[in-house]
Amino acid sequence: MPDTATLAAPETRSPAPPPAAGGNQRLRMPRFALALPAWGWLLVFFVVPIGTIVWFSFGYKPGLFGTHANDVLSFDRYREAFSPTFFTTFTNTLWVGVAGTAICLLIGMPAAYWMAVKAPPRLRGLLIALVMVPYWTNFLVRTIGWQVILAPEGWLSNLLQSLHLTGGPLDLLYTRTAVLIGVVYNYLPLMVLPLFVAFDRVGEPLREASKDLGAGRLRTFTRVTLPLARPGIIAGTVLVFIPLMGDYVTATVLGGARGNMVGQLVASQFQTAQNWALGSAMAVVLILVIAATVGVMALVAWLVSLPIRARHRLVIEEAS
Amino acid sequence: MTTSTTPRQGTGSVPDSAGPPPPVRRRRSWGDRLIALWGVLVLLFLFAPILVIIVYSFNDGRLLIAWNEFGFEPYRALLERPAIRSAVTVSLQVAVLSGLLATFLGTMAGVAMARRPGRWTWWFMGLLLLVSVTPEIVDAVSLLPWMVFLGQDAGLAVFDNGIVRLVVGHSLFSTAVVSYIVRARLIGIDESLEEASADLYAPPVRTFRKVTVPLAMPAVLAGFLLSFTLSLDNTIVSAFVQVSGSTPWPVYVLSALRSGLRPEIAAMSTVMLVLTLLALALVGVVLKRSGDSATDIARTMGGG
Amino acid sequence: MTRPERPLSILAHSSAVPRIRAEVTRRNLLALAAAAGGTGLLAACGDGSSGGASSNPSAVPSETPSQIATGGPLESELSMYSWGDYDAPEVLEAFQKDNDIKMTIDSFGSNEEMISKLVAAKGTSGYDIVVPTGPFIPQMVQNELLAPINHDLIPNLEYMDPQFLGQTWDPDNNYSICKAWGTTGFVYDTTKIDRELTTWSDFLDAAMNEASGKTSLLDDPHEVTGAYFWANGIDWNTTEQADLDAAEEFIVGQLAPHISAFDSYPGGQAIPQSTQVLMQAWNGDARIGIMESDDPDKWKWVLGAPTTELWMDNWAIAAGAPHPEAAHAFINFVLTPENQLLNVDYIGYHTGAKDIEQQATDEGFEMLDLVFFTPEQLATMEAGELNDNQQRTVDIWNKAKAAAGA
Repeated sequence: MPDTATLAAPETRSPAPPPAAGGNQRLRMPRFALALPAWGWLLVFFVVPIGTIVWFSFGYKPGLFGTHANDVLSFDRYREAFSPTFFTTFTNTLWVGVAGTAICLLIGMPAAYWMAVKAPPRLRGLLIALVMVPYWTNFLVRTIGWQVILAPEGWLSNLLQSLHLTGGPLDLLYTRTAVLIGVVYNYLPLMVLPLFVAFDRVGEPLREASKDLGAGRLRTFTRVTLPLARPGIIAGTVLVFIPLMGDYVTATVLGGARGNMVGQLVASQFQTAQNWALGSAMAVVLILVIAATVGVMALVAWLVSLPIRARHRLVIEEAS
Repeated sequence: MTTSTTPRQGTGSVPDSAGPPPPVRRRRSWGDRLIALWGVLVLLFLFAPILVIIVYSFNDGRLLIAWNEFGFEPYRALLERPAIRSAVTVSLQVAVLSGLLATFLGTMAGVAMARRPGRWTWWFMGLLLLVSVTPEIVDAVSLLPWMVFLGQDAGLAVFDNGIVRLVVGHSLFSTAVVSYIVRARLIGIDESLEEASADLYAPPVRTFRKVTVPLAMPAVLAGFLLSFTLSLDNTIVSAFVQVSGSTPWPVYVLSALRSGLRPEIAAMSTVMLVLTLLALALVGVVLKRSGDSATDIARTMGGG
Repeated sequence: MTRPERPLSILAHSSAVPRIRAEVTRRNLLALAAAAGGTGLLAACGDGSSGGASSNPSAVPSETPSQIATGGPLESELSMYSWGDYDAPEVLEAFQKDNDIKMTIDSFGSNEEMISKLVAAKGTSGYDIVVPTGPFIPQMVQNELLAPINHDLIPNLEYMDPQFLGQTWDPDNNYSICKAWGTTGFVYDTTKIDRELTTWSDFLDAAMNEASGKTSLLDDPHEVTGAYFWANGIDWNTTEQADLDAAEEFIVGQLAPHISAFDSYPGGQAIPQSTQVLMQAWNGDARIGIMESDDPDKWKWVLGAPTTELWMDNWAIAAGAPHPEAAHAFINFVLTPENQLLNVDYIGYHTGAKDIEQQATDEGFEMLDLVFFTPEQLATMEAGELNDNQQRTVDIWNKAKAAAGA
């Protein structure tokens, strides 16, 4: 094997085939060979099971102890899933999902900005760790911590009452508000981290350059930092919205009946009602709703950016 | 910091930070203080339930949520009751195994996507997108019948094993995450080092081992860390596919939720938290020694 | 699988046929196809019905089943799937220590949930002991979810009161032994509700008025519809379409929006934390909650009137139990008089043992009026049935939960 000594004398190197752009020509394996194991794994344990679920959704429940049957195919289960009672659950879930994500964004952005830009650099590692540490406590245990905090006869309730901030005992548990608090709490780190990375990537020099060119702090933020951080904002939003839509455990623990989300519907069809056909139909609708919402959000963001981009379009004329 | 001595001049517009320095300084520190306050409040918000759990782990009573009196009984009970300890052991085992599996599969896939892109990349990214868009509950309800089918009807008895089921279930989303992180990291690094290695007659496997993987190492480590964390916390898929006898920690807590949580759960959580903090401190010390900053790791975890 | 096997066609070179015939069985081929992710499997797993729709037996089959445990050496582990917090910790610890067995305990909130899990797992759930309520047992046996109990290994049956053995669903106790029986009622906070509530009608009325938004129902389909039927003097096992329609209209349309939680164990959290004002509860769980509360006197337990439920939970062994010997040993252990007494005190239910009421009174256990009932009270309790209204009942319960979350 050639060692470093031969690097000093390139002319003695025997001609090697020039490496092709993007790959080593001596490799005879197909390009995607390395990805094949992951592909196969996901195919067998993800795509095929989801496929069977889609298949089940066109079936029906054959009897008391039967879970599913597919000899008669129909769209009836989808019709059932869209019946008025269940449909309200879908809209509630969407409401909680959108509101929760928006609140996470509002709370997370100033915090991430502080951590990435304003906080002393030596503390940044510590701050990131502090944001992640709660995440390492079990998710349910954290939620139960909130249940203790929000208890009507707990110390927070007593404190607020003695400060005369509330009339009676704290009435938040088993309400929609408690659900929002819970989901915002559980998904906030997932929003703060990508935002932190995004703001960090913008870099001090760009901000300073902007200030040197006369922009104030606010203008620097809106015209320089924010647009450059956009990928991070998008990543954070998506990273929070999708799991939030599927999460029903937080909602059930803190919201009781008010925390009935679609995830709970699907789970109970499989876990209690033994109606796999209906559960599958609801599951498919859930995936479609999530994908559609993400698509709509992307579309809206793109549409909104069109006039802004048109206004700020720089016309660079050819130097004659 | 800028060292220009010329007065700030915009491109013809009036600089809006003009004025005597002292008012500018005061205004800046006001806004800065507010933001700093917000940041601290958010951190307090994040830690509030954790502190509550730590306090209630010293609750000597029957129910976790009903404070009885201060005592070390829950910690003593941890030593006496093997059920909680075995749940945590199962969780740790599964987290390590699924983390390794996801990192292995995901790294290779990420390298392939970054270094050998082609039309197939779109299909694979579509698959990864599908994995990301699917909520955990759908994953869970589809995986259980499939595993029962594989274990019972297809005769592959390995899928009746609780640990195998959990590792498979946890590795799916993690593989997608690791692929994405590794790809993002490698795309940012051009291929010149690998090309140089090839020019020096290194076979492709060696290039992969000695050049590509070390280049991607921060992403690989970050991916493993993330997979480990996700697996440790995975509740819904675990609740559906688990086999009694290998019950992971989150499912144990979910189940205990029904019968009235005991303070031992808070005690175990506190113990795990302390261990996590110790591990973090260790990582911090090692990182400082090797010169890499925590910001870099976070940056990599965030996608390059 | 209940469908007959269809012949499998393979296209191959003629010389390969003998080898293929020898090596490839249908199961192997499915395993190979599974590994490759073929979609032909969808047809194979398309029919999951177990033929339970044909009849609703009210008792287990009468022939004596073949046993799965014969008194061999005990395994080192045991897994139980039971209702929440349903065994005294001292009993569990003593059993584990005496026999060097490690126990795992999981809990469920309703029989439907337990059955769903056993059906979905097809014997791979890993559970040894399950605790179903009586009426569900015949169908569970019919669908091969339960294994028989070997009475030779349970000599402590002699300590059971005979009137609690030999129930209609299992006359010879081949598959089940009484664990505990109890009833359903409700608990309310007297400081928040001024008037006295005595019947199910009062319960429903208060739920929609003073206790609106602070009421919880049991997370069990039959309990939810039961509250309506008992309040209106209808047999709660009715299969009449009109009755079920009326129940759905009331529960989903009128009651559900006032319900803030579906909680089978208010005694575990809601009563001690005072998060609800009015809760439907089982008697033993209510007793636990009131005893753990900071202010026990503000809670009042009311036995459902004019009629209510009489349920009996049973020890049973799951089909495919990995540790049958240990399971039998545990059931035998629990039936000794000392352990039955410990259990009565902890869980607050009558375990069916001989003279247990006398012993409990002698020991001075608290709140025994929630544990033992007078003959007049017993006369108002009706047992449940598993019949054709099951599907509709579960439907109504699901819709009620969806409506409550709106």
